[in-house]
Amino acid sequence: MEKLKQYWLAQQLETDLGDPRDPTQRMSFAQTAAIDESEEFPDAEIAWLYDYNLQDYYVPTSSGGKFTSFEEFVSFVRVMSRRDLNIAIAFTTMFWSFLTWMAGTDEQKETLSRQMRDEHLTMCLAYSEKEHGSDLVGGGVTATKVDGGYLLNGEKWPINRATISGLTYVLARTNPEGGNRGLSLFMVDKSQLDPKSYYNLPKIKTHGIRAADMSGIGFSDCFIPDSMLLGPEGHGLELALEGFQITRALCAAFSQGAADTCLRTTLNFALNRQVYGKTVVDMPHARRTLTHAFLDILTCDCVNIAAARGFHVVPEQFSVWSAVDKYFVPVTLEQMMSDISVVLGARFYMRDEHDHGVFQKMLRDSSIISVFDGSSVVNLHALILQRRQLAKTRKRLKPEKMAAIQQRLANSFSLDSALPEFAPQKLELFSRGADDIPQGLPLLIEELKAMHVDGAQSVIIEVIDLAEIILAQLNVQDEVIAHSAFEHGHGQSYESFELAKQYCRLHAAAACIYMWRYNRQSLGGFFSQGEWLVLCIHRLLSHFDVSLKTVPLEYYENVFQELLRLDHEDKMFSIVPFQLARSTSTPEITENHATASNLQLI
Amino acid sequence: MQQLQTSNSSSAVSPAMAIRQWLISQLAEVLSLDPSTIEAQQPLTRYGLDSIDAVTLVGDLEDWLDLELPSTLLWDYPTVEKAANYLVEEFDVSV
Repeated sequence: MEKLKQYWLAQQLETDLGDPRDPTQRMSFAQTAAIDESEEFPDAEIAWLYDYNLQDYYVPTSSGGKFTSFEEFVSFVRVMSRRDLNIAIAFTTMFWSFLTWMAGTDEQKETLSRQMRDEHLTMCLAYSEKEHGSDLVGGGVTATKVDGGYLLNGEKWPINRATISGLTYVLARTNPEGGNRGLSLFMVDKSQLDPKSYYNLPKIKTHGIRAADMSGIGFSDCFIPDSMLLGPEGHGLELALEGFQITRALCAAFSQGAADTCLRTTLNFALNRQVYGKTVVDMPHARRTLTHAFLDILTCDCVNIAAARGFHVVPEQFSVWSAVDKYFVPVTLEQMMSDISVVLGARFYMRDEHDHGVFQKMLRDSSIISVFDGSSVVNLHALILQRRQLAKTRKRLKPEKMAAIQQRLANSFSLDSALPEFAPQKLELFSRGADDIPQGLPLLIEELKAMHVDGAQSVIIEVIDLAEIILAQLNVQDEVIAHSAFEHGHGQSYESFELAKQYCRLHAAAACIYMWRYNRQSLGGFFSQGEWLVLCIHRLLSHFDVSLKTVPLEYYENVFQELLRLDHEDKMFSIVPFQLARSTSTPEITENHATASNLQLI
Repeated sequence: MQQLQTSNSSSAVSPAMAIRQWLISQLAEVLSLDPSTIEAQQPLTRYGLDSIDAVTLVGDLEDWLDLELPSTLLWDYPTVEKAANYLVEEFDVSV
């Protein structure tokens, strides 16, 4: 772990922020609960993050910042998110700057980099409109060409940070006839506008992230100079869709932070709660429920860390990877949080009990993640449209292509391998049938069969069996796809959506195996033993009509012991369990459910 | 370069015409339309082909021609006629 430099920043930020359960610490659960109740924008906390210079990590090194890898990025976003999603999301709207890193001129990049780093400029994304929802092409905001620039007219709503931001990325119609080349993207610097030509819409009251600046912006004959156009005129939709590929995968990190806190606070409750003469954590149902939650976090880790790394390796496949990640991770973790609420009992619903009501707050705050930046339906739809090509390509893969897939997978999954610089210009609107993760499975199975594993021989046999089931299920699904009538447009059947969900589960299950195969030696201990892996795949395959061998019960117990250990040592619930801020009030762990001391991961 | 096969090899069908026919038959199939109602000079959006559908159709076109094409081809050449002419001119597709 100490070798993995990409986790150092997250670890340092943890230390500097302190234990969120301690009310005296910055961004503590007590403080963020008060911010939530006040429904006021967390100015002081955002200012602290700027003073910490965290904004530098949103700007690529080639533009003067410190961003080098999305793996590092998602790790520090998790650190913020496990404290408070209001703050994490408000600060991270800066990830929209990737639109400029992707499509801006050198001058636009230079200016933006300077403004972000020195002037603490932040941005919002003004795509949605009240009447048009996800239908971007149908949007009504116009940009009419005039001498030296454009005149903007119309309203964008609902927009996070519409009011409290200096820069607004506006998608507007530049061709009155519309069409896919009828939209252009503008980076509108509000400081250069005539204040009378634009206005902000009132704050919208929301169910979660109640302190967010959720509002909107309107323009009336608002002049913007030509220099604010991003990319060529008419390329707005293309840039918007490619930009979403970046941010959608990053959104999963918000869910992961929230999930960590929900599980940690529930575990802490279960460790200390006595009922019927027993500690809750010693009751089999609660214990298994918590174990399942930890497994779900590990599965999502494999998917999202691979995606974060994959950006650098296979950006051209992100029309698929990003859609899988944005559907799978938030939805899986939302379900996980709901599942463990039974352990917390009535307290899960209370706004001021147990860790200052952080559970219900995370539940409310995180429920928007699967909706914003393209909802689950939008992501599944994007997959459905590519599904037939994915099936065709997998069927006709040639050995030389397989070797290249294997090489890319090694880079995407080996956490200690160096990543190429992210090349956003390689993002593509469709992946041309490529998705390395399922397509590399046959070779992965061969590798597993050839693998010599000390002390985990039974696990390897089980993993091979499970990998073969994943492959067989992919084959079944590909056959169904090949023989079904393909529908374009928005008339996709309910069954197509269900099949797309299953594809995400198979993709996730395969991702777990690659993660294990490529990091077994470097991550060691619990990770290497692979019992978690068998259980994670079992959970995913339980959604399929297949019969699975029974898993030894001690696997569950060993995974639970690891969960206890990570909690006790204040480490992230993750395949890369980096050190969190040390707890200022570690509860007593009784011998009954003490951690196994021989399990040393990092 | 792809040799397009037509159903009747003795009749001289130009590459542009072969591509037109293919595009019209695909559009008719996926949008459940009568092929005779699709006019080569009309914008594809008029027949209900949305932005992502147009990208997906480029994928099918790539398969058929065994060529890698710009994913936004049907955004930039938004009629059957324009797309077919572009392919013949830029990719030297011949019968």
